Amino acid sequence: MDGEISKQRSEGNISSQPLNPQNTRNLIDSVDAFLFDCDGVIWKGDSLIDGVPETLETLRSMGKKLVFVTNNSRKSRKQYAKKFNSLGISVSEDEIFSSSYAAAMYLKVNDFPKEKKVYVIGEEGICEELALAGFTSIGGTEDGKKTINLRPNFLVEHDKSVGAVVVGLDQYINYYKLQYGTLCIRENPGCLFIATNRDAVGHMTNLQEWPGAGCMVAAICGSTQKEPIVVGKPSTFLMEFLLQK
Amino acid sequence: MNASASSRIVSPRASAEQLKDPDQLIDSVETFIFDCDGVIWKGDKLIDGVPETLDLLRSKGKRLVFVTNNSTKSRKQYGKKFETLGLNVSEEEIFASSFAAAAYLKSIDFPKDKKVYVVGEDGILKELELAGIQYLGGPGDGEKKIELKPGFLMEHDKDVGAVVVGFDRHFNYYKVQYATLCIRENPGCLFIATNRDAVTHLTDAQEWAGGGSMVGAVYGSTKREPLVVGKPSTFMMDYLANKFNITKSQICMVGDRLDTDILFGQNGGCKTLLVLSGVTSLSMLQSPDNAIQPDFYTNKISDFLSLKAATV
Repeated sequence: MDGEISKQRSEGNISSQPLNPQNTRNLIDSVDAFLFDCDGVIWKGDSLIDGVPETLETLRSMGKKLVFVTNNSRKSRKQYAKKFNSLGISVSEDEIFSSSYAAAMYLKVNDFPKEKKVYVIGEEGICEELALAGFTSIGGTEDGKKTINLRPNFLVEHDKSVGAVVVGLDQYINYYKLQYGTLCIRENPGCLFIATNRDAVGHMTNLQEWPGAGCMVAAICGSTQKEPIVVGKPSTFLMEFLLQK
Repeated sequence: MNASASSRIVSPRASAEQLKDPDQLIDSVETFIFDCDGVIWKGDKLIDGVPETLDLLRSKGKRLVFVTNNSTKSRKQYGKKFETLGLNVSEEEIFASSFAAAAYLKSIDFPKDKKVYVVGEDGILKELELAGIQYLGGPGDGEKKIELKPGFLMEHDKDVGAVVVGFDRHFNYYKVQYATLCIRENPGCLFIATNRDAVTHLTDAQEWAGGGSMVGAVYGSTKREPLVVGKPSTFMMDYLANKFNITKSQICMVGDRLDTDILFGQNGGCKTLLVLSGVTSLSMLQSPDNAIQPDFYTNKISDFLSLKAATV
């Protein structure tokens, strides 16, 4: 019956109800676990949203399992745990599923060969998770400093052993990275194009929305004319992975 | 029953024919439109036989027009490039997508009190200036840095009425955010793309990520489709057909790219000739994955001369 209701809702047949004291209680009692998004739900940029610690405490005391799922790939799970703790919320690494972690897990689950490398258009979080999973990554924040000089005969050399390009939010995005990622995808046979997520914008700071990973991913789609494998929401990869875990 | 009311069956286009009789093609049209990269030059090197071929066409009274999606230079700057390569081509015969962006804004009476934010290079800035349009951004914003920390806010000019995006080697997060804010928050702000080419031959050593990449980025953060002024959109075709008073069926479009040049010619109702001196190979043309069939194909434009000689 519940499945039927969710199906109808996703088909647009039942409209969303605002929470009231009655249905809130019903909702809480009817589930074992809560999956929380982070940006805009738990915090905004680096500011905690009002009443969050107490809410999470209450749910925990009622025996509910809490899981935090974020499409923001800038940090690793470890770094997110630190962020929670610095905001006064006690959350363990194992309760966090970031899209940076999802990218590494996707490669693991699909037996990505350890001798292949991963080119990263993204920030530390992705590189850390890849390293934790035993993969070799190149690119990342370092390549934010690289420039190109379009004189005759100039070309960008790229590592032929790159077997996957992972693209996430990258505030240090530049032409060098776009070109490197493009070369790997177009010229290395079988090279995977993985996107942590495709969010258009996000509250990277509390005052304003900023372009999200969707921007960098679309840039690579533009130069390769290929569609990526998306590991973050709304793709079901992360959900299936954590349900199994 | 009215015969013209019967439904048209659109049959798939016949496969491209190898060009065997250039004279027939030349005699059947008044104007030749040439793409530049991969047709006239490759990077900064002239392709063999080009000067003689252009001279031949001019001597037969044909009008020559050069249309390029490359927005890094203005028409004037392209004129200089042609001159440096020893070709006799005037500014008025050149239509770069940088010019197209400015021409488009002029054609819709873009208000003089509004500004344009540019994610792109000098060529676009120069053309906007020539058209009397105020702009912000361009290569200078390539130096600007942002810091995603608490309290940081990017201000943007509320008078920006259009964002023009083209190839930009100084592309960075600052520019994407600025463009995104303008498009999302300034009422009625236009999103114009000079072109969406995936890759381009900026140096002859390699293919380089093209304007399609920068345009993709801004599309990715705004979820808005841009208005494309360069090939294969027919804006430039309509513009020059109008300017020179040419009938489109009297035009032959010559290019090296199927999804921009040839599609541009077909969308405009022109004859089309694919040359294999640029990014497209014969196997790409003949691949079952390719749906775009030009009328003719040949190795390079100087075949107009050598094939003639062969048939004599």
